[in-house]
This record gives sequence, structure tokens and C-alpha cells, in this order.
Amino acid sequence: MDLLNAIQFESWAEFVDMGGYAFNVWAVYGLFAVFLVVNLWFPLLKRKKIIRNLKRARQRQSQDQR
Amino acid sequence: MWVWFAKLGSPKWFYELSTKWLPWLVVATVVVIGTATVWALLFLPPDYQQGYTSRILVVHVAVAGTSLAFFPLMAVAGTITLVWKMKLADMVAKNAAALGAWFSFITLATGSIWGSVSWGTWWEWSDSRLVSMLFQFFLLLGVVSLRSALEESDKAAKACALLSIVGCINVVVIKYSVEWWNTLHQPASPVSIESGSANGPEFWIATALMILGVYLFLSLSLILSTRNEILMRERRSLWVQELMSTEK
Repeated sequence: MDLLNAIQFESWAEFVDMGGYAFNVWAVYGLFAVFLVVNLWFPLLKRKKIIRNLKRARQRQSQDQR
Repeated sequence: MWVWFAKLGSPKWFYELSTKWLPWLVVATVVVIGTATVWALLFLPPDYQQGYTSRILVVHVAVAGTSLAFFPLMAVAGTITLVWKMKLADMVAKNAAALGAWFSFITLATGSIWGSVSWGTWWEWSDSRLVSMLFQFFLLLGVVSLRSALEESDKAAKACALLSIVGCINVVVIKYSVEWWNTLHQPASPVSIESGSANGPEFWIATALMILGVYLFLSLSLILSTRNEILMRERRSLWVQELMSTEK
């Protein structure tokens, strides 16, 4: 319960408003979230693409050998 | 045959070791950044001057501080590449440059959004901290484009290693800019144990936690892209071929 009391806001609306600086605070945290997600997601997408290409090359090779 | 194996040994070792540790690194990164974010957004008391905009600084300080690690990291990796011709070091250096550019950009953007309230301006060309950080952003973009411009990868590795070593000078300039020149950007507030002061425990513990989280994220992202690089560069090796037959 102490933890709940330590929350700085009385209501949801107050939390969103950030003392009048909603745009600045949320823009920064939004940007931060995009930054984190993009820099993990892109390497993962690239990994999928690499694996797909390498597997395809492998299949082609084994067909050629036959 | 054995010489060939020895040369490949190190990227393979890195790849297999990171496969084991990746899940733990993901958990640690999510937990630490999650905790720091919730703490900063919900529990941080408003600063007596900045109000709730001080929440921005938790992110800004963590990303900005961590962005200074890139040139030293790339310089160390570059030196290893130049002296011992270790392939793994160059793969790390290559992927660090692009990630470092992201870090620098986020530093500039978050700083700008904070400055628009606290300084009343988004940008100030005469401020040494701002301009030297912008310079770091361009330097890192320079390293990225140098790499892609030089097709021969040995030559590219050498050129990027040299540029990374030179780029460390700018890190020193960024670090001490607020002390050498007294312009807009303030130096870091001294850490205080007094609750409610400018950099009291609520603020610096949240920031320290965020710095740890951002470093974990840096390692995670860099390991993921280095693993891709390993798969690409070692695609003809036996172990990658075998890996592909088991991979979904």
C-alpha cells in the first residue's frame, strides 16, 4: 500500500497530463519505446531473412548434386 | 584443414555462447528497463523547477551517457582488428556504428524536447555539448557509409578502425564540453543523498537503473546483429550449414 501512496498522481487524467507537459514527456517516452523496439526487431527480421536465404541456397545445392 | 577450423573457431564460439545466454539477457533487459520506466513515470516526485519534465532526463541521461561508449568500443574492436585480424571484433565494430548513430539521434531528440521547455529553445548552435553530440552523430553516420562505400571488406575494416580511434577525441570533447565552455547545457547535478534535492536519491537511483537497462539493451541489440553478421560471413562454413538443417 505504501507503494500505491507513492504514486504521484491522483487520477488517470492527471497522469496523462504530466503537470501540463504531456506532449514533451510522452514524446520522449514514445521515442524511447520506438528506439528500443526498432533496434531489436530489425535484427530479428534480418535473421529470419538470412535463414530463409541460406536454407534456399542449401536446397538448390542439394538439387544440383542429384 | 585445421588452420581453417581455428580461424572460424571464434565466431562459432561466440554464436553458440550467445545462443545460451540470450534468453537471460532478454529477461534482464525487459525487467530493468521496465522497472526504471515505471519508477520514472509514476513515482518520481516533480522537480521544484522542472516539474514533471524531469522525467525526460531519466531517459535522456541514460541514452546520452551510453552513447559515449560507442567510439571507445569501436576503437578497441578496431585495434583488435588491426593488430590481431580477429574477424569477430570487426563484426562487432560494424554493427556498433549504426546502433551508435541511433543512440546519438535519440540523445539529440530527447534533449531537444526537454530543452524546448527548460531552456525555451529546441536547439542552440553556440552550445558546445549540443554541437559535439551532433558531430558524434555525423561521425557515426560517416563510419556507416565508409563501410558500405568500400566494397573490399578488409580495406573497409581498416578504414573504419582508424576513424573509430580518431573519433574517441570527440568523446572527450563531449564529456568535458560543459566544463570547458560555459554555455547553455548544464553540467550534471552532483548526486545527493537528500530526498527532494536537485539530484536526490529518487532521481539518481531511477537514472542509474535506466543506465544499467540501456547498457543491457545495447549488448542485446549488438549481439543480435553480430549473430546475423556471423551467419552471413560464415555461411559457407560447415557449422552454419549444419545449423541451417536444424533451424526451422
